[in-house]
Order: sequence, then structure tokens, then C-alpha cells
Amino acid sequence: MQKIGILLARSTFYHTISFDLYEGLRQSLKRLGRSDIKIVTENIGFGADKQQCYRSAEKLLLEENVSLVIAYIGHRTAQLLRPLFLSANKMLIVLDAGANLPQEWSASPNIFYHSLHNSLGAWLAGKQAANDGYKNGGMVTGYYDGGYLQTYSISKGFEKAGGKICFNHATGYKKEDFTMVPLKSFLKEFENPALLTLFSGDYVQWNFEELKETLNKNTPIYLSPFGFEETMLETAIHPNTKIKGVAAWSKSIENNENTLFTETIESIGRTPNLFSLLSWESAKIAIKVLDLLNNNNGNILLTAQGLHTYEFDSPRGKVKFHSKTNTSITQLYNAEIVTSEDGKCQVRIDNIISDTVEEFETMSQLELDNISSAWHNSYTCI
Amino acid sequence: MEKQKKILVLCGGKFAFQSLQALAYEKFLCGVGIGKGNDRTIDALERESEDNIVAFKSFPDKKSLKEMRIWLDEVQPDYIFSISFPFLIPEDVLSYGHDKFINFHPGPLPQYRGPMPIFEVLKNQESQTAICAHLMSSTFDQGNIIFNDIVQIENKDNYGKLTVKLSGRMAHVVINMANMVQFANKIPNRPQEETDAYYFEKPDFTDTYINWKRMGAEEITSLINACNPWNTGADACFQGEQVKIIAATVVDKPHNNKVPGMIISIDKDNSINVACSDDKQIAIEIMSTDEGIVSPKEFNLQRYIVGACFN
Repeated sequence: MQKIGILLARSTFYHTISFDLYEGLRQSLKRLGRSDIKIVTENIGFGADKQQCYRSAEKLLLEENVSLVIAYIGHRTAQLLRPLFLSANKMLIVLDAGANLPQEWSASPNIFYHSLHNSLGAWLAGKQAANDGYKNGGMVTGYYDGGYLQTYSISKGFEKAGGKICFNHATGYKKEDFTMVPLKSFLKEFENPALLTLFSGDYVQWNFEELKETLNKNTPIYLSPFGFEETMLETAIHPNTKIKGVAAWSKSIENNENTLFTETIESIGRTPNLFSLLSWESAKIAIKVLDLLNNNNGNILLTAQGLHTYEFDSPRGKVKFHSKTNTSITQLYNAEIVTSEDGKCQVRIDNIISDTVEEFETMSQLELDNISSAWHNSYTCI
Repeated sequence: MEKQKKILVLCGGKFAFQSLQALAYEKFLCGVGIGKGNDRTIDALERESEDNIVAFKSFPDKKSLKEMRIWLDEVQPDYIFSISFPFLIPEDVLSYGHDKFINFHPGPLPQYRGPMPIFEVLKNQESQTAICAHLMSSTFDQGNIIFNDIVQIENKDNYGKLTVKLSGRMAHVVINMANMVQFANKIPNRPQEETDAYYFEKPDFTDTYINWKRMGAEEITSLINACNPWNTGADACFQGEQVKIIAATVVDKPHNNKVPGMIISIDKDNSINVACSDDKQIAIEIMSTDEGIVSPKEFNLQRYIVGACFN
């Protein structure tokens, strides 16, 4: 029996993340007629403990002898595992929140990133704000979310489209330290500003609560894809201002793949979300990798070349790979957050952003000027 | 959390500097040994080692390797990393722990054994090279392979550019290897495939000399890139004078059966167009002559060259 391994992370915000990742993969393999593939799981906590991550991956490769490993980790942890996978001649498929930038690390034929593209979405949301006519921007984030390079991409996206970052605000990571009050003076100081915000998990809700008290109705908020994560929005209070940005996915996207995905996940009593989506999609990549390895006698270089030309339909649209960074790319969505019947938040998809390959190419060529992200943990896993 | 592993680095000079910085930053570094090396490099390394409370020793020649084992016994590193260390480590030193010595070879193994793989991969027009981490044995570049980490070669890369690129990448590879020795239960490794193995000797004049009759345009520009800057370019002969061609590009234009090596024309941008054996031309941009490093324009001022031949 063929075996694939998955490294599962946990999160205090997204309590169900490990179940979502596991079930997304399992249900998708089942739908693809590959229930014969055994899934072997290992826990990596928040993905921040290097020893735990390394030993878990080592166990999957050397003791369980899995054919490939899927892992919800970031670029930095993927680097930690890089020599192990090179040495074992095995493929690592990273389920990547996309909160960092690919150019921080060099690509390896053994590591492919299947991405939710938070930084690309942030880059596009920044551009969207400037193109909507807002030339003064404030980047608003928190101690945690601000530690990823998405901060760089949202600022650069805004500046490339003619905007100017006039102020930055990074708030604390505990509820008692979380405040948007400093924004009041900024908003008075600059004419017609827009807020470029980067939050995930509970912080999305806290942000909206605070902004409701701080903002006037004319100040728009722009969000990156994790700001559109629907399970958090369902219980978030709408701050009564314009909220726009770029989403990676929504339950409301209309296509056959999305219907199949959402209905399948709901049929087992779970709520589809970004994490189950990512692992659902990864099943197709895993099967392709297994086929390519089989056809190429385990040659990783040829397998990587095969993946570079592989395309498949997903609930988000067509997925293909950017060969320079080994990162999957799919279309993104211009979206808004509107008030639901109970005064909470819901996602409204406006239209498709289809030139994501070109935008990713441009973003991934940004000079980093020695900036780097020091967070080891998988994004949102705190 | 297990105790941090202590790593001692044996190196040959500035190629290893970024790796040393990275290991020191991550608190792995416990000692630095330099083989040969100029006084300036040795002084800089010794000073940095003192500032960071890291053991330091210089090994100016093969004879001085006799002191290495005693030094290792004093410093007691868990692992010894070798980055372009110029000497073969003797068996009595390796007996400190055969699985404790790891070399980082700046070329793919086993295909590119030898002292200058950067030159060889460029000369052979490879599209990618690698940094190979392997266990050390008493022969050069033949120990068991841990991994080959691939590095892409760009068209514009010459020996200098690729060396700088590899030096930066080396720091990442070395840190990845340090993490591996820190966290792995066992360092995976496998014997080298001898059927794929080739040892390239240090290049001599016959390796850096342009054979106009035999070599095509791409082959010649690859050789020129492979020789820049360490050999001040590829060697050629013009009207009895030894010259070096430092930079040139391929011109995809036929020369209608001119003699390979013949200068066909001088371009508007003053590059010298020369016929190659494959009916393509190369445009020479910089040369080194007895009179110094010159542009083709300056070279042309010295004599009438169209129709004359390199040989």
C-alpha cells in the first residue's frame, strides 16, 4: 500500500486546523478514487519547534517510508527540512499560507509550495486601494501578523500603484494590548486615507471591533486573503465602513469543483475553510507526484519538471505552477465584506483577478533589501 | 531541547565568510581553521574569532596539519565542516570521528570531483550546478554523499559571479546542514556512484586556451566566462602575442565559411566579431593584452585587424 505523510499543525485561533487539513486530504483522495493511499499523520505543534518538526518529518520518511510528505509549514521550516528531503530523495509539498515572499529562499526541486497567496493578495489589495483613488495609506497590523513579509508586499503594492504609506501601526498580540486608538491622530493628520490591514484568526474580529469605535464611515479598509477567512467573519461585527480587498477563496464561488468540495466537507459534518481547501487541492498534486515518480524511476528532477507543466481544476479555479519558485498559482478574487442579516460579516465576491501569474512574477522579483521574517511557526499557528 | 552542537569550520578564505557568520549567529561555531590564505584574510579571521570567543588556528602548509589533531582534541567539536579547505585531511585527523567531518563541495558530486568545479561546470555549459554536502574520506571528494543542493546557472554567470552566488548559497546550505546534525537521529548518506564519477584536475593552459578550429561560439563564450576573473579571461594568440579574452557574447549570424578565428568586422559598439567553427560569431567586448586591459576600440587603434586571425 502506498503511503503519504502529513505534518499537522495546531492553532489556538483555528481550533480545527489539524482536522481540516487531514479531512480535506482524505476526502479528496476518496473522491479521486484513491482511498488505497494510506495517510500517515505526525503532529508538529505550532510548527515553531525545530526539533519537533525535523523529527516528525524524519519519522515519516525513515520509519514510515512514506512516498511524499505534505506539511502545513512556512518557508523557514521548509528550509530546515530541505537537506532531509534532498538526502532521502523525497518530495515535500508545503501547504503554504503565502504570508512570506518566495524570494527569501532559493527553490529546491524537492520542495513545492501549494499556496493561499496571502502576500500576493496583500500586494494586489494595496494596488487596489491606490487605484481606487486613495493615495495616503496606513498599514495596520499586529505583533504577530506583522512578522511576515506580507507587510512588505502590501506596502510595495500600494506604492507601485502611486500610493504613499503615511503611517504604520502594529498593535499588541494580547487582547488587553490590542488597540486601534493611535489611528485616530493619524486619520486626522492625513487627507482621505485608506487602511491596509493584515490580520488573521481572532485578530480579524478584534480589529473590526476596534475599528468600529475608531473609524469614520469614509475610511475604507483593505484586506489580504486571510482577512476574508469566512469562519472568523461569521462571528465578526461589521465596522460599518467600506471593506474591500483580495480573497483567495469563498464558499460562494460558483464552479463545479467548489460545489463538490463544500458539499463533501459539509457531508461529514465539517465547515469548509481555507485549510481544508488547501489540503483538498493538495491531493491532486500528491497523486500527480506519485505518478511522475513512478514514471521517472524516482528521479526528483524529472518529477519537478513534470509538475512545472501540470495544471488542474480546483475550487478556486485552475491551478498551475510557477517554475522559478516551485509555487502554485491560481486566480484570486476582488471581494468585499458586507453586513449579513444578523449584523455580522459575509464575503461578497466581485470579480476574478486572472493576471495573477504576471503579478506574482513582479512581486517575487521585489528586492528584499535584507529584510527577512524570523517567525518559524506555520502562519496562524499560535 | 538537546544541547547545541559545536561546529568547527576548516576553510580556505573569504568564500566561507558568509557561512561562518551564519554559524556564529546561530551559535553553532566553536572554532575556525584556515588553510593557506593571505595575511589579510588570516588577520581578519583571527580578530573576528577572538571577538566572538571562537578558537582559531592557521594552517599555512601541509606540514602544519600535524598540529590539527591536537587542536581538535582541545576544542572538542561535535562536527567539523570543511569549506574550500585546500589540504587533504590526513587519516590520523579523520580518526577523530569519521562521521564528524563534512565537506561542502561547490559542484555536483560525483560528476564534478576536483579543485575547481565552478570552472568546469561553466566550461561544460551546464544549466545548473550544486553544493554537495558529503562525509570526508582520506581521498578528495569521494566520501559518502549526504545531499546535492542544486543551484541554477544563469547565462550571464561567469566564474566570479557564480562564486559569489555560491558563497551566499553556501551559507544557507551550511546552516541547513548544521540543523540536520543538531536534530537528526542519523545523518543519511550514500556511497558515490562510481560510474558517474569524474575527477577534473586543476585547469592548465590547455584547458583555458581557445581552440578556434574546434570550438563553436557557445563553447568559446562559456570558456571565456569560466576563466573570468581567476585567469583574467580565456587564452588566445593574436599575431604572435598571447592575449586573454575577458568578455564576449554570441552573435547568431553566419560568417559564410570564413576561417575560424578570423576577425570579420568591427561593430558600431566597437566589439570585434570573430568567426567560430560552427558558422556563428562571437563579439569580443574586453581583452587583456601586453598593454593592459583594453576595449576592442583601443585594440583596433593599435593595428589594422579586420581579416587577421586569432589562432
